[in-house]
Amino acid sequence: MARRVVITGCGVVSAGGNELDAFWNSLVSGKTLIGVVTNFTCPEMDALTGAEAVLTADEFGMGLAEKDPVAGRCALLGLGAARRALAHAGLSAGDPALADAGVVFGSTMAEERQVSNLSERWVAQGADGVDGGFLTRADNHKLAACVADAFGMGGPVLLNATACSSGNASIAWGYDAVADGVADVMLAGGADTFTHSLFCGFSRMSALSKTVCKPFDKARDGVSFGEGAGMLVLEELAHAKARGARILAEVLGYGLSNDAYHVTAPEPNGAGFVRAIQQALTSSGTPAERVDYICAHGTGTQYNDQGEVRAMKAVFGERATRIPISSIKSTIGHTNGAAGAIAAIACVLSLDHQMVPPTANLAEPDPEFGMDFVMDRGRSATLSTCLNMSAGFGGANACLLLARVS
Amino acid sequence: MSQAPVAVTGVGVLTPLGDSVASLMEALSAGRSSVGSLTSPAVVAGSPMHDFEATRYANVRGMRIYNRATRLGICATRLALKDAGLEDAGYPAERLGVVMAGTFAHFDTLIEYDRSLVTQGPSRTNPALMPLAIPSAPGAVIALSFGAKACSITLADGGAGGLDAVGLGARLVRSGRVGACVVVSALAFFDELILSAARAGLLTAADDFRVFDRRSRGTAFGEAGAALVLESIADAKARGVKPKGLLLAQASTFCRSGEDLERALGRAASKSITASDTDLHTLGLCSSGANGTARVDGAEGRALLRVLDGSPNQPAVAAVKASLGESLDTAGLLQTIVAMAALSGSPAPAVLGLAEPIVPGLAYLSEATAIRGKRALVTATSQTGACSALVVGQGAER
Repeated sequence: MARRVVITGCGVVSAGGNELDAFWNSLVSGKTLIGVVTNFTCPEMDALTGAEAVLTADEFGMGLAEKDPVAGRCALLGLGAARRALAHAGLSAGDPALADAGVVFGSTMAEERQVSNLSERWVAQGADGVDGGFLTRADNHKLAACVADAFGMGGPVLLNATACSSGNASIAWGYDAVADGVADVMLAGGADTFTHSLFCGFSRMSALSKTVCKPFDKARDGVSFGEGAGMLVLEELAHAKARGARILAEVLGYGLSNDAYHVTAPEPNGAGFVRAIQQALTSSGTPAERVDYICAHGTGTQYNDQGEVRAMKAVFGERATRIPISSIKSTIGHTNGAAGAIAAIACVLSLDHQMVPPTANLAEPDPEFGMDFVMDRGRSATLSTCLNMSAGFGGANACLLLARVS
Repeated sequence: MSQAPVAVTGVGVLTPLGDSVASLMEALSAGRSSVGSLTSPAVVAGSPMHDFEATRYANVRGMRIYNRATRLGICATRLALKDAGLEDAGYPAERLGVVMAGTFAHFDTLIEYDRSLVTQGPSRTNPALMPLAIPSAPGAVIALSFGAKACSITLADGGAGGLDAVGLGARLVRSGRVGACVVVSALAFFDELILSAARAGLLTAADDFRVFDRRSRGTAFGEAGAALVLESIADAKARGVKPKGLLLAQASTFCRSGEDLERALGRAASKSITASDTDLHTLGLCSSGANGTARVDGAEGRALLRVLDGSPNQPAVAAVKASLGESLDTAGLLQTIVAMAALSGSPAPAVLGLAEPIVPGLAYLSEATAIRGKRALVTATSQTGACSALVVGQGAER
């Protein structure tokens, strides 16, 4: 019988704040934190719109003085969230409980800023601009390795690059490692920052919102990016109890699927999402009726939101219209490979506060949908089980089921 | 904790020495090496695939715009699916998954796209290029090409990535989430890869490239594509397919602060041996990830010595990178394929050029040799300190 897996620590670095209380207050306020980006520019592009994280001095004081805070920002975001998650779980560097613990780090763009640096040098210097350290700096696995190295972790250390479902998928692998007995403790989540290809590429594909993203709104017109990181400490139930850890929530299970439909566009009928949700429910033995909050992927693009709602209706039937639904991307932006993990933390906090965060910027829900979108401000609710949905380029879907532990 | 065995029902391999298991093993048995001297962009040892033409192996939509690593991955996947009898067999798309081990598979596309942003500006870039420039793109494209709807996952664990991906794929099959899982990886050369590694002192001249030998001055990169199809033993049996080999257990570790790489790799190897309930006397082969650098070869050798200490009979030690070069994530799959072939009766290849072992005391193969044991240990490490080990067994009694 699989071991039960609980969450004993959460760490977040985002535009919504780097402490859980501040982050939660930002989410339930219903205000968007998407604005003009000041810490990053793109060649030939006007002022960028996004949700910036604020890195505190703590992030730079972890023996990382040699790290380039611009090019190495993704790693710093991840380290900041990891440090906070472990501290929240009552763990710190060198703790014996971490000796065989592992890391699953998710990222969409990962170390792309290192490539941007190289591109600028190549244009200026040609092949002479390629230095011997480039491969080491640009090796995406370094993101996971630097977290493990910072905290003395010697278990499986994986870099999961499964586009924007990476955060949820990383939690899924961490869940498996704990459930299967590979490790008693796993740190799982993701991080991403702003990159040139992100803004320029989405702009060229007309997928960036011209204002701010408005998930599920009739007038939704695309994505607004955010940067950030979310990390969760996953622990075997008995192990957590034995060391007196506070149990924040339980991971009931997960589901995966792939659209195999298009390199960028999601399957319009949401069939891939349907399979992922059903697998999460079936594999964890959770009746669909038990889901009482859906934290949607909700990017604010026409096709994502449409497919996602269709999937919810296909799985939950008429009841889908009565389940509270929200997307936090209009508050803190779409944080790509971190999005699923940060949303999972939002679910943990929702279960704790018995409240559903709203979807900021949602003024007039698309009449086609007819769902119970939480709008304006947080809504009190009796919550036992949350479904956290995420999807990525290429059609990779990952859904998590998280539950309150009494 | 024990792991239930998973069957390997299909193998696809593309290397400079052969595009099938039979041709590769024949070349390796004959003592051939594809490692020579590159002339561009640096004069270093390397093993390029000069004659690779993707359309000889597969013809999928969009092939022309995919980079070379993605094309290698697509072709290896097609060969593996065909070998497994799953090509055009009406296998349910919802049961077919893809796990890609690809740390650098997207890199040249990303570099091309990023450079075009600098030189041409965003408004003149090719919008189709950006989605192919993210790390998950090669795996996503492979899944799309073969209609794999169970999952599309990309791991980027460097040199340990291939074996980590095998472990993940096996876990997905074991849990029933995926019916048939393609684990695929590919490495293709691009200038920045070669130049950066050469300038870091990682690559050496062809004459100074030796594996497990203390005289070696570095490694040589090798282009390759490889794929395995994993299924449950019950599913393979139900389809009437004879497994090429069995994946018995995989384990991953990380070289934590203050720990030697050899100890971390030794932990991974011991865990995989324990989880597969393997008696050391049944171990016939160690298919090592040694690559010609002192750091990796020393760690691999000392880890094997540590793990095999007390073993009544020393298993043979092979290092396929001596013949094919270092293909990073892909290497773990190639090592696994060679180990399975050796367990099935092909001679295990010699460690070419080895005269003065960096770690004495192991049974390095000096010539291609038929092995006796029924199981093999496969080991790998990454530059970043990730370690991975896998125990494979015979697909059927010889």
